[in-house]
Amino acid sequence: MVESIVSTGLAVGCIYALIAITYNVMFSASRVFSFTAGTLGMIGGVLGSLFIARMGMPVAAGFLLALAGGAVLGIVTEIVAVRPVLKSLDQHLYVLSTLALALMIQQFTAIEWSTEPQPFPRLFDIASGFDQKFWLPMLACAAVIVGLELLYRRTLVGHAFLAIAEDNFAARALGLPERSLRMASFALAGAIGALAGFAGGEMLLAFFANAPMLTFYGFVPVALGGMGNNRGAVVAGLLLGLFQQAANFLVGGIFASVAVFTVFIIVLLARPEGLAGATLQRRV
Amino acid sequence: MSTNLRVTRRQVLAGSAVSAAALASGFPAPAIANSDPIPVGYLPALTGPSSSTGVGINRGIQLAVQEINAAGGIGGRQLELITRDTQSDPTKAVNGAAELTHGQKVSVVFGPVNSGESLAVVPLLARANTPQIHPCWVDTLTDPKKYPMCFRNAPTNQQIGGAAHRYVVEVLKRKKVAVISDTTGYGTASVNAYVPMLKATGAEVVYQGNVDAANPDLKPELLRMQSAGAEAIMPWSVNAGFLSRIINTRGQMGWDVPIVGQTTLGSGQTKALLEKPEYWAKVYPNNFRPVCYAAGGKLSDRTSAFVDRLKSAKIDMGDTLLWWIALGYDSPRMIAEAMKNVGTEPEQIVGYLNKLKEFPGVYGDIAFTADKHDGYPDNEVVMVEANSLKDGAFNLAPGYGA
Repeated sequence: MVESIVSTGLAVGCIYALIAITYNVMFSASRVFSFTAGTLGMIGGVLGSLFIARMGMPVAAGFLLALAGGAVLGIVTEIVAVRPVLKSLDQHLYVLSTLALALMIQQFTAIEWSTEPQPFPRLFDIASGFDQKFWLPMLACAAVIVGLELLYRRTLVGHAFLAIAEDNFAARALGLPERSLRMASFALAGAIGALAGFAGGEMLLAFFANAPMLTFYGFVPVALGGMGNNRGAVVAGLLLGLFQQAANFLVGGIFASVAVFTVFIIVLLARPEGLAGATLQRRV
Repeated sequence: MSTNLRVTRRQVLAGSAVSAAALASGFPAPAIANSDPIPVGYLPALTGPSSSTGVGINRGIQLAVQEINAAGGIGGRQLELITRDTQSDPTKAVNGAAELTHGQKVSVVFGPVNSGESLAVVPLLARANTPQIHPCWVDTLTDPKKYPMCFRNAPTNQQIGGAAHRYVVEVLKRKKVAVISDTTGYGTASVNAYVPMLKATGAEVVYQGNVDAANPDLKPELLRMQSAGAEAIMPWSVNAGFLSRIINTRGQMGWDVPIVGQTTLGSGQTKALLEKPEYWAKVYPNNFRPVCYAAGGKLSDRTSAFVDRLKSAKIDMGDTLLWWIALGYDSPRMIAEAMKNVGTEPEQIVGYLNKLKEFPGVYGDIAFTADKHDGYPDNEVVMVEANSLKDGAFNLAPGYGA
């Protein structure tokens, strides 16, 4: 039982963490919580299955094309659902615009792909005690954490991303191309979201209805870990996966979801800024 | 010599009385030669998420109408199938039904073919006094008192569950049963309806649960079933992903327990999601005896002849189920038989169907009475071997005999 809780819990937790990072990367560049994050995850699984299982492409090519597809959808999100509402952030219109785009993509996928879950191919023809459907999401999550750390700390573009996230007015005053950097951030977020769906494809299958599930459970680590805080999101995502799987074993059925959201509400009541979030200081 | 043509008041009254009596006694109206097509409404879901059933049924319907019309139609009049695709959407089904009854003035409607759409359409057609035949399983979709013109030429959910329970308890001799469903309306309603039915047959329900179909790991649920001593798993869901996860998990656990339940267990979509083909063994979904392979792999003579007709008409069976095509094929034939016997007026058709005795369908022999509009026989609902699917039909599950 413990083995199953740990392996499935960590794998699912890593998928949630990657979706949470997708939210955060888009949030950092725009101050917008784009509810297309889960849809990007779903698209990663569907495109992976389309390219590899249905079209017979090599795994590497299918993987790269799936990430590219996610990146394109990230850019579309920025252009269609985020840019038009940036001037009125205080009205929170982005909730409506990003949800609408997410629903459109989801319905389009249902019509053109399938309303039934489709198989996701086994990516590596290897037999090991620890199945690839568990370690692939963990590997993907570790790669993204390391990659983002390197990007933000060691590259000029990464510093520019951080500058935009810190204060986009000041960054623009310094001559940074804010719009291009924002689009690049959304492309990066799209690729990370697609990676979540691709790496978790063997577990979640290529299914259009994964989108709302990932949107929902991917947001929990964002709220628990602190808005825009990737480290907090990863820790909270892993805890969420482990807790959810433990609840599946201990109480089972629909009560597992109830347990998850009960804990979620209690944590937010105790620490509204999230487990790792800092309290916002208002300048006076 | 003049002739007296005067008509008295007494003669007029006597004549009127005779005419009224003739009308009241149902004296047939003089036959007027009519070669106009007979409009028959048809509400399949040919597109959208629940269209796989409608697509299969449609192949049978089209073949039957072609055959009826090629054989001269109904008294020289052709059947005209007026189709409105519901797109798997109850709202569009209601719009289609309204147009068929008020705009097209159809004599009878077949469909919708999905329960969700029928739940919306049945009351509407009842108000429009239009005879309706549908194949939907939800129990409440027929009621001779509320919907006196609505007939079902397929089993009810009670019959489907009953057949599965008989197989588990009487054939497999398993007394400890786990009943699981997803959290959809169909899933929860099925568990609530079937658990008391199972208990009434003498079985012990050792596990009962509703689980989110998106849950990627069902091992906790199956371990719970196993530790409770379950000897059979009965899943009720139309979600192929959910069902395949149950089958895969059973296989990974190496648990040799039969899975008995919903027809989707035997669908191609479920098969496509299995980690290993051998995991499909000992999985027994619902099906219907007349369209199953008996011992020796043979279909009944009636069904064999039907399959030959399908092959000669080049109708594909490999990507659908034979019972869907057979059900579609039987429906217009039953309507045509009613019209040949009593005409095309709604009351006449309903009167005929109310006394229908064992209409010889490929899908099954259908019979109705004025008090019972569920026409499918109990004993034709059976269980089959999921991994025996060939040309849209399955082998009967072990234990049914020849």
